[in-house]
Amino acid sequence: MFELFILILALIISLIIVIKAADVFVDSIVEIGLALGISEIILGVTASAVGTSLPEFGSAMIAILTGSPDVGVGCAIGANIWNIAGILGVSAIFAGLITTKMEEVRRDGSMAFLTTLTITVALLLMGEISFVVGIILIIMYVVYLWILIRAQKSSKDREIECCEVDEKNRDLNKKTILMAVLGLVGLAIGCRAIVYCTVELSVMASIPEVLAGILLAFGTTAPEFFTVLTSAKKGLNSLAIGTVFGSNIFNILIGLGIPSLLVTIPVEPITIYFDAPVMVFMTLLLLFLIKRGMKLTRVEGIILVASYIIYIVTRLTIFS
Amino acid sequence: MYDKILLTTMGEYMDEIIEHTLNLIQGEAEVICIYIVETSVPFLTPKKVKEMMIDELTAKGKDILEDMSKGFDKPGINFRKLMVKGNPADEIVKAATDEEVDVIVMGTGKSIVDKHLLGSVSEKVVHSAPCTILLVRTAN
Repeated sequence: MFELFILILALIISLIIVIKAADVFVDSIVEIGLALGISEIILGVTASAVGTSLPEFGSAMIAILTGSPDVGVGCAIGANIWNIAGILGVSAIFAGLITTKMEEVRRDGSMAFLTTLTITVALLLMGEISFVVGIILIIMYVVYLWILIRAQKSSKDREIECCEVDEKNRDLNKKTILMAVLGLVGLAIGCRAIVYCTVELSVMASIPEVLAGILLAFGTTAPEFFTVLTSAKKGLNSLAIGTVFGSNIFNILIGLGIPSLLVTIPVEPITIYFDAPVMVFMTLLLLFLIKRGMKLTRVEGIILVASYIIYIVTRLTIFS
Repeated sequence: MYDKILLTTMGEYMDEIIEHTLNLIQGEAEVICIYIVETSVPFLTPKKVKEMMIDELTAKGKDILEDMSKGFDKPGINFRKLMVKGNPADEIVKAATDEEVDVIVMGTGKSIVDKHLLGSVSEKVVHSAPCTILLVRTAN
């Protein structure tokens, strides 16, 4: 019992360390990028896409590379299902209404659907995530990032036409580099601790590692949860829905794409035939609900949360 | 009767709030419209996301204040925009005290469900405002 308490406590502390380390790392990398003369648009788009997803990516990466691939795959797919049905559902219930724009649904929603469909079809055909699949996933992400940067550039161009340009000139200092290194080290150590605690807890609770990974997603998606809920409550609707789509695209294309370049990722049949199709279904359900009026209402939030409850109860009872 | 009016808005129900405020004005008046950029975020929200939220809320606030100014472009009305960062209820009360306004006009805004889930700025202001408050019924 005492060991269980210590493991849960260590898991919570590790999660907080990882989330804060990711924050420091992204912040410092943006500063370094600016000092090196990289476009603010490219840095801004990348930082917002990567920012909230680093805990999932780090945990999945470390899990896969340290011999617990099921935790890594479970974490990535579990995070995607929870992002849509749980986080967006809960946020819609609290905020009452989350609106979106057609162009964002077309660009980000379609890409999120294409991403989930690609990984699910690849899993159904090959039963694992190989180097070739990894290359395809990463190419897809680079193309998506290019589309995002192009969209951001055209919107910035419009702003510049009417407003004065804010010229920024920053110097690279040692503190920023040190913070980036500390952030990266914190991320690596924290993720290793998360994976260790998750594997140990799954053994103690006698549940499969992939299910432990799915449950771990509750913790690693904390930055998305707070970002989406707060944005929805403040009426920043594009940020709320954009964070979910962006995170889901990143979790699969980079979260599973990068590790698969280093090692072929074996995937459990239950994930291939149940979890991955559920992820596709949840993405489709969200797109269907949004497309009806370019908004998510409280009732639709309840539908999403109910779908998640059905999924997780089924997963814990019938398919555990 | 009311020479100095503080008007609060988050961008919703602007027409109703403008209409009721105009009804309060007899002759000349100074109307101060306040928009509060709420800066508080939960502990685990990434710093970059917080910065992005503040930037977006500031841009949104500028648009809202500009729209509101058009509603008060009338003879005898001196319209002033005020944008501040902080907790909405605290900042409204502080602005009302500092500016020594005669009345605060704000919308009731939310349904009973929203009030329980999101909290109510107007309820908090009612308890600590230094002047009269006109609550415009705006909930659907």
